[in-house]
Amino acid sequence: MRSFLFNFGYFIKESGRVIRLNLMSNIFSVLGTGLILFLLGIVITGTDIGNRLVIMLNEEAEVNGYFSENITAEEREALADKIGSMDGVRSTRIVDEDEAKRRMEDILGEEAKILELFDENPFEAFIEIRIDIDATDYVIDGVKNSPGIEYVRDNREVLEKIQDITYALKILGYLMMAAVGITTLIILSHMIRQGIYNNKDQINTLRLLGSPGTFISFPYILTGLFLTLLGGILAALSISFIINGAYNGIGGTIPFISLPPREELINKMFILLPGLSMALGLLGSLFGLSSIREK
Amino acid sequence: MIVSKNVSLIYSDKTQALVDVNLDISPGELVYITGPSGSGKTSLLKLIMGIESPTTGTLSVLGKSINDSGMMGIRKIRRSIGPVFQEFKLIEGRTSLENVMIGMRFLGIKPKQMKAVANETLENVGLGHKKLSKVENLSWGESQRVAIARAVARKPSLILADEPTGNLDYDNAINILKLLKSFRNDNTTVIITTHATHLIKDEQEATFIRVDNGRITIERRYR
Ligand SMILES: Nc1ncnc2c1ncn2[C@@H]1O[C@H](COP(=O)(O)OP(=O)(O)OP(=O)(O)O)[C@@H](O)[C@H]1O
Ligand SMILES: [Mg+2]
Repeated sequence: MRSFLFNFGYFIKESGRVIRLNLMSNIFSVLGTGLILFLLGIVITGTDIGNRLVIMLNEEAEVNGYFSENITAEEREALADKIGSMDGVRSTRIVDEDEAKRRMEDILGEEAKILELFDENPFEAFIEIRIDIDATDYVIDGVKNSPGIEYVRDNREVLEKIQDITYALKILGYLMMAAVGITTLIILSHMIRQGIYNNKDQINTLRLLGSPGTFISFPYILTGLFLTLLGGILAALSISFIINGAYNGIGGTIPFISLPPREELINKMFILLPGLSMALGLLGSLFGLSSIREK
Repeated sequence: MIVSKNVSLIYSDKTQALVDVNLDISPGELVYITGPSGSGKTSLLKLIMGIESPTTGTLSVLGKSINDSGMMGIRKIRRSIGPVFQEFKLIEGRTSLENVMIGMRFLGIKPKQMKAVANETLENVGLGHKKLSKVENLSWGESQRVAIARAVARKPSLILADEPTGNLDYDNAINILKLLKSFRNDNTTVIITTHATHLIKDEQEATFIRVDNGRITIERRYR
């Protein structure tokens, strides 16, 4: 252990030498690991954004129940209360004809003039029903079958689509994770093995002088850590570059979709990718080192 | 220090390198191993360093059984040995100083002290002026001195020098032997193999092991 601390400078110098000895292929292995970590980062970021959308839309999950004709105001109130007490319903609120019209005017803005063409208010009153997303089917059935309700409108399809995409991204993320792991391990252990091969005389001499295996291996472990870490940082930098670009590009054009804060996404990349790359670097070098375990 | 009982060594290609070797070398002895080329001198040193293990018989070095020591045990024994290899085995691309220090790095010595000792040892073998030269640029005799410095700087209990006089002219050979002998003391055994029996024929305080076709005869010459 003491020897370890005393020799830290030597270890760093040695791993620098191992890297220089094979500079070109080491640069390529950094680029290679950087690229796959970059792809992984993109998928993870995509999943995060998808998740965020699903959560947001879940909170806004609602169905609208439209009344049958000839229903009195009291009956409307009673119906809203009844639906409000159903399982899976969070709240209900009656949106009367006037409010429905006002909403449409808000949406149309300048174009709202078109509504003046109507003599009568063409909008119908409805019950705005906020629901738990998991209970969507159940609630829709219940509302549909309530006397006094003519028909039901829901945004389930949109929700399900986004949910499916997020799920697919998640699966893709896991696959990518596995692919990145395996590829990095292969690239790295190959690099380490090559480094060891190039230094086999020296390693043999160290053995003859009684050097412990850990002393011989440590510079190679450092090398592996350093190479993958560099790849990880490279990947995190490129992704933050892309996230920044995308956020600046989108700017305020789709304000009603709330994306996760960009710092959150970027910070995650700067923790996750270098962290993951270090873990893989350690494993890869140990993997590569296992090839020198003999006499 | 080194005790062997009925040791024989047969290489994997069935070459019988050593036959029935019985040895008992004490701490502080000066030992010359002589014999014709191919007789088994290096093989004997390899056994002592645990590079080969005895095909039959038992061998212990520095109080530890070579037969029963695992890889870790053998490495531990090697840390108390200062080997000077027939082909030096210096590490190219490094300076003399770095080569000497590399033999001391895993012995738990503080960096400052390590450097001081390495410098001092290089001065001692007459290579102070070459300590920052890359070893691949050194002459044969200089390389040999670096190899010796690396072996002795770690203050071993046992110095093994394989053919240190080979390739050297008479004067240099005598000087190298003198240098190696100077590291012998009550706690440090020095073992030297050599073809050049004429260089050591006047030696009055030493043990001579003659190897012939893998068999040894021992002569202890002490006044
Ligand atoms: N690894 C090996 N495998 C097979 N045979 C070997 C091996 N090493 C040495 N030998 C053989 O063992 C015998 C003894 O070799 P060794 O190297 O011990 O001789 P030596 O006395 O040191 O010779 P020299 O004076 O030339 O250095 C020789 O016949 C040699 O060919
Ligand atoms: Mg030999």
